[in-house]
Amino acid sequence: MRIADLKQRHSEFRQRIIRWEMGGFLALLIPIVHPHPYHLDVLTTALLYALLALGLNVIVGLTGLLHLGYAAFFAIGAYTYGLLNIHLGCPFWIGWLPASIFAGISGVCLGIPALRVRGDYLAIVTLGFGEIVRIAFTNLEQWTGGPNGLLGIAHPRLWIPTAGMLDFGVSSKPYYYLALIVTVIVAGFCVRLSRSRVGRAWRAIREDEMAAACMGIPVLNLKLLAQGCGGAIAGLAGAIFAAKQGVITPDSFDFILSVMVLAMVVLGGMGSIRGAIVGALVLGSLPEWLRGFDRYRMLIFGLAMIGMMRLRPEGIFRGRR
Amino acid sequence: MTSLQLFFQQLANGLTLGAIYALIALGYTMVYGVIQLINFAHGEVFMVGAYGALSVILLCTAAHLPWPVVLLAAALGALLLCGGLGGVIERIAYRPIRRAPRLNALITAIGMSFFLQNALMLCYGATDRQFPSLIPSVRWDVGGLSFTGMQLLIWGSSAVLMAFLQVLVMSTKLGKAMRATSQDPVACALLGIPVDRIIAITFVIGSALGAIGGLLFGLYYGTINFHDGYLMGMKAFTAAVLGGIGNIPGAMIGGLVLGMLEGLGAGYLSSQWKNVFAFVALVALLLFKPTGLLAERVAERA
Amino acid sequence: MRGVGQGTWGEGLRYFLYPLSLAPFPLPLIVCFGLLVGLVGCGGRSEPTVKIGFVAPLTGDQAPQGEDMFHGALLAVEQAQADGEILPGYRLELVVLDDQRNPTQAVSAAKKLVADPDIVAMVGHLNSSCTMPASAIYHQARLLQVSPVSSNPQISRQGFDTFYRTCATDDLQGPAAARFIVQDLKAQKVFVLDDMTTYGRGLANELIRALNALGAEVLGHEGITQADKEFTPILTKIKSLNPDLVYFAGMFPEGALLIKQRQDVGLGGYFMGGDGLFDVALIDLSGSQAAEGVYLSTIGSDIYRVSTARAFVQAYEARFGPVGAYSAYAYEATNIAIWAIRKAGKPDRAAVLAAMKTLKDYPGLFGPQNFDEKGDSLIRDIGIFTVRSGRFSFVKIATQD
Repeated sequence: MRIADLKQRHSEFRQRIIRWEMGGFLALLIPIVHPHPYHLDVLTTALLYALLALGLNVIVGLTGLLHLGYAAFFAIGAYTYGLLNIHLGCPFWIGWLPASIFAGISGVCLGIPALRVRGDYLAIVTLGFGEIVRIAFTNLEQWTGGPNGLLGIAHPRLWIPTAGMLDFGVSSKPYYYLALIVTVIVAGFCVRLSRSRVGRAWRAIREDEMAAACMGIPVLNLKLLAQGCGGAIAGLAGAIFAAKQGVITPDSFDFILSVMVLAMVVLGGMGSIRGAIVGALVLGSLPEWLRGFDRYRMLIFGLAMIGMMRLRPEGIFRGRR
Repeated sequence: MTSLQLFFQQLANGLTLGAIYALIALGYTMVYGVIQLINFAHGEVFMVGAYGALSVILLCTAAHLPWPVVLLAAALGALLLCGGLGGVIERIAYRPIRRAPRLNALITAIGMSFFLQNALMLCYGATDRQFPSLIPSVRWDVGGLSFTGMQLLIWGSSAVLMAFLQVLVMSTKLGKAMRATSQDPVACALLGIPVDRIIAITFVIGSALGAIGGLLFGLYYGTINFHDGYLMGMKAFTAAVLGGIGNIPGAMIGGLVLGMLEGLGAGYLSSQWKNVFAFVALVALLLFKPTGLLAERVAERA
Repeated sequence: MRGVGQGTWGEGLRYFLYPLSLAPFPLPLIVCFGLLVGLVGCGGRSEPTVKIGFVAPLTGDQAPQGEDMFHGALLAVEQAQADGEILPGYRLELVVLDDQRNPTQAVSAAKKLVADPDIVAMVGHLNSSCTMPASAIYHQARLLQVSPVSSNPQISRQGFDTFYRTCATDDLQGPAAARFIVQDLKAQKVFVLDDMTTYGRGLANELIRALNALGAEVLGHEGITQADKEFTPILTKIKSLNPDLVYFAGMFPEGALLIKQRQDVGLGGYFMGGDGLFDVALIDLSGSQAAEGVYLSTIGSDIYRVSTARAFVQAYEARFGPVGAYSAYAYEATNIAIWAIRKAGKPDRAAVLAAMKTLKDYPGLFGPQNFDEKGDSLIRDIGIFTVRSGRFSFVKIATQD
């Protein structure tokens, strides 16, 4: 490779970084330009979806494992933080870590048996896992509060030098910033990850598992790693979700959620990181935009999904191959 | 009732539900067998069948026809409605993206499922609808077990339809074309098989089977609701995978096994963990037999 | 193309100006932001309106119950509109939002309501799991919330002065039903079923606690899955335990199937349910023969018998058909919100809240309505009904002690 090529690649890379910076900058401005709590809340929810989509993108988009039970990791993260907070008084700034780690570990644990099966069979095993986790959270009343869920999870508090202690409470702005910052960090992490050796190996597995194995790639370990990373990101999102809601119930983590996140990844463009984010922002906030259509909104939402798939079969951003 | 009788009664209960699962699972498995698409909208097509049958029944009973005629008319009406719907869905939603990556079709199917479910809600209202019990209620007691006429009808019709489908796929020219398409659509097209038409016919037949499932479901439970298709569809899909997706007797066996598992699990262990038993059994089975009970091949065409 | 850093002046300039141009943004991103910013501008106001928010599941699997609520609220608003201006110069409007019984969407909907300054009171949500997180948002925004049917006792224990509800809580209905079961029906062996929702499980737990205290034997407590259809396995199992009574804490669609399949299975003894079953559809769906003799515990008295509710029942039936399980509560809650706005005399949230605190003996559907300091209704009568020849017929009021 010639020096000039390298330089061009470097310049492209810098442009991309600038693009991300600009995107983040604009996003930071939104609450100042337009401090509308409802719109910020919709955006925060969309950003949480974006986090989930980023995590699922690692599993489905990069590694090519079809996963239909992703909401389970989100639930595990949310419940881990919720339980730690309620029983041990663990603050959010510490609690997210075990939530994320625990969800990641459960991703790996699910992976060990599940990765024996392939393709659509994997899809149904993960679907089953998602349902099992949700029903277990509903039924294990002594620990999870059953259908009532966990009540009274503390909202995060943050000490700000000039303003003193800020309780996030039910206001929208702090959660928006929290979700935004975490999303940006996770997105950066995902970009680095997908460009690394591991990322390349994942893509190799996605394209041709057999060939990848022949090249000496430890396929099983890498698949487990993908599940673990995806799970950990979902767990982090779950902790933020629990902290934001203050109340979590098992019905927040149903199959529809798993399917929606998958749709976001596919809509954005499989394996594309900005795709996952944009896909999540679009699909995550679409139901709110469609509120004007009253009871027709889910009908239109379904049509929109069909239409988007038809108009952009490769997703909004074509994933790098 | 002795414990043995209790067991067989639970088994019979489970088999009835299983037979309905099997009918829906046939639709999943046929479509999957030919184009490797998990047609998530199939559960909703099944509900369209149930509502279509209900409309026909309400019309016919208003005309005071005898019940066998009404039943036949309802079956026919639902068949035509769902068959047509299946064809239309294939034509407008799935065909244009057939060459796109496989997951797109999956997402389209999910979108279609949202659309159909909400369309049903808007057309028929959100409240549960009563489904008239057409079949005179008959009950036989055999050795301490009781069977109803409805149960026999369900078992009978699903067995007949499965046999019909098996013959269709295995011993007719159309079936041969379907099997060929599932193996290699490009080669089929080269050999002059109208691949598009074969796929459309597969959708029509699969959806029509769902319609019969919908009719029997409505008759058996007596109430239908627009969102019933979601749970039934998910279970039927599970049944199809359990039996080995793409395989017709497999779907049947998968449905029956799943129904029995749920029946016995809910009856003997715990009703609130019912769905967990079904999925745990499925996961366990797939771990030991990664392609389901009867599958011939691992279908993976990314 | 050459890399940055070794180029001409022009190139350097472009590099500096680059962050200011839109070039780095792909079109979809721009469209996204455009749409988001576009949300700002919408809504020019023409005529002064005062709005009441309403949130319930209007799509998804609890849409039937949500629709019942919506009809009740709509009727109340229409009647108020027909009565003339609610406040001088103001038009009354009902802002309807859907939460799909999903707590996440419930919070979004709550924030949407709170953000609209014209909204001075809200009615909703259906599910306790949605009301719970949303109530914190209404409290922060000082927005009056009148919840028609979220009966989980935990909600009012949060200490929000913006929260009121028109239904009795589960910790009242459970004991009353238990007393009726043990003292009137003389049932000693009871099997309890619930639908594993916040409502069903909460009610079932309260019932079991009370049954145990009264010395009845609880043979078992099991959950069923909401939206499931096949209950014969669990009913067959219950039959083998031979209970005197089966109590189901859940909603009428599952209740109707349980009643129907109970007959198929041949399960004898009493069958009793909570207020979620109190819907005419229960009898239609299960068939009047199977439903015969089923007992229900409900909040308040017979809506068809209470003289104060006659006008409501007539108006509702003329407009929407049979009165749903939750229609009356939503109607009552909406009317109370309207009353508070009228009393306040100005479209101001604080004034409406202050007016609400002065409420005393509001002429409600079930008689004079009052609220305790937690915001719970003081109408705590639990009515017992039975199904007789295809109709609900009133048995007695099972009071607290």
